[in-house]
Amino acid sequence: MSAAVSPLEQMVVVLARDLADGELGAAGAAALVPMAAIALARELHAPNLTVGGEMFFNPLPGHLYPSMLDDRALGRCEAAETFIELFGHSHHGLDFFFHSGLQHDSYGNINLHHVGGTLDAPGMRGPGAANLSYCHTSTRFYVCPTVHTTRNFVEKVDFITIPGHLSGPEAKRAAGLKKEGPRFVVTPRAVMDFDPATLRMRLKSVHAGNTPEEVQRHTGFDLGIRGDVPQTPPPTEEELTVLRERIDKTGTLRA
Amino acid sequence: MNGQTKPTRRSKVTGLQDAAHLARDALQERPELCLGGLFKQGRPVALVRGLLAAGAKDLHVYSSPGAGYDVDLMIATGAVEQVFIPGVTLENRLCPNFRRAVEAGQVTAHALDALTVVGGLMASAHGVPFQPIDALRGSDVLKHNPLIREIDCPFSGRRIHAVGPIRPRVTFLHAQEADRWGNLRHLSTMVYADQLMARASDIVIASVDRIVPDEVILDDPSRVTVPSHYVDAVVEVPYGAHPTASFPHYAMDEDHIDAYADLGDAARTGDRAGLDDYIARHVTGPKSQGDYIEAVGGAEYFARLEAETRKR
Repeated sequence: MSAAVSPLEQMVVVLARDLADGELGAAGAAALVPMAAIALARELHAPNLTVGGEMFFNPLPGHLYPSMLDDRALGRCEAAETFIELFGHSHHGLDFFFHSGLQHDSYGNINLHHVGGTLDAPGMRGPGAANLSYCHTSTRFYVCPTVHTTRNFVEKVDFITIPGHLSGPEAKRAAGLKKEGPRFVVTPRAVMDFDPATLRMRLKSVHAGNTPEEVQRHTGFDLGIRGDVPQTPPPTEEELTVLRERIDKTGTLRA
Repeated sequence: MNGQTKPTRRSKVTGLQDAAHLARDALQERPELCLGGLFKQGRPVALVRGLLAAGAKDLHVYSSPGAGYDVDLMIATGAVEQVFIPGVTLENRLCPNFRRAVEAGQVTAHALDALTVVGGLMASAHGVPFQPIDALRGSDVLKHNPLIREIDCPFSGRRIHAVGPIRPRVTFLHAQEADRWGNLRHLSTMVYADQLMARASDIVIASVDRIVPDEVILDDPSRVTVPSHYVDAVVEVPYGAHPTASFPHYAMDEDHIDAYADLGDAARTGDRAGLDDYIARHVTGPKSQGDYIEAVGGAEYFARLEAETRKR
């Protein structure tokens, strides 16, 4: 493989490996990395994975688009639905979903509403979010922002738009969040997971070219680094070939 | 028949300005306006511009759960008091005028979610007093959402949510085709919440890319997405969704939206001249859709957006 693996390609491969054959899931709003991950999983090991829950089934895009809410990004697709069916999917839940936001905190909570101030008098008003249900009606979800800095990884979010693990197991139980919630946080620098006892985020592996110390320096809270942190397994020859030749033909993930 | 004329079926085909006046007058009675489409697809933007040119203020704006350019433009012209839309974004960047006006306290942006809006439209469309929702947990949105109440499920006893009917006074939709009676056909892949809104609203006004002969509808009735029963007026407007997309006829105009957002960002940081000029050239200036098309760049410019739809 000629060109070096890009951070976004590494993210796609990590996420694709965790999606299983036969599952139902969708990409969410910022779709570039999640859709590539879904497509890669379908090509490699999950041919019966169904893309659904966001008003279309099994899109076949000609190349990657930043948003799936674009008829061109769907390319051809097997069927379309409407918000009425989305209402049902939101209650029944999916197997997996993806989220990212303006701020992400040490328990995987995500903020898309405001940074600074209050909701009524915001320092900076964000976009809000449409679907707040898939994060807890689905079996699990992934957090995958395409930047990783102390500005978007903060100890505590200013507003919980998408609940992750709230403030831990007790708060989660009290709020009626019964599913796994966020499983992995995958960024251009590293993979994080959550301590099963406290549900606090911790560093799981760092992508090639990053050190645990660097990742910690770009994170606004303690990542609980103990001892050696492994490197994220890089893409295999097959993963990279399929990703570049069949999914990301225009090189969007390397731009 | 003694010279009396036999009554005939009334065509719902309306001019853009008449449609805008119909909407403006109805919204003066109750300011709840709802917009079809989603983000940059199938938005009834020509109708929105018409309404803004006709003069609208203090609007309460609803939409399918995601909106961007059109709501931002309405805010830029000072027509909006409250926004009831869960996600307001241009997707690749924030909505500048929405941000500015909410941060300055000039516009109230309610914290909502998709199920509240869809559920409220469902209750209205179905004629029931509320729609139960059992999939909202853990989000701070629940502390602020003004449209939901907690109730006990009468069967399980569980605490769930209920949303009352959302009944827009006026809904604007954009579809690709209609006949003169107002039977709409969406040819785009997704139809968003358009069918639900049509059934939930007092007055429904649709723009379409073209009016088709009656036979087109009669030959394929299952292809009709919104029956004319729900539609009050239909307006043939070339490029009526611009700068959003009307697939499969033309794609979204990302360059136009980006240029608009740059002007909005300049206004946000103190220089409003460009934004005011944009509004004069695109909203208040044009006397017709033909004028608007010229102001944007003319026929050749739009031909490029048509070609874009074939690049899949």
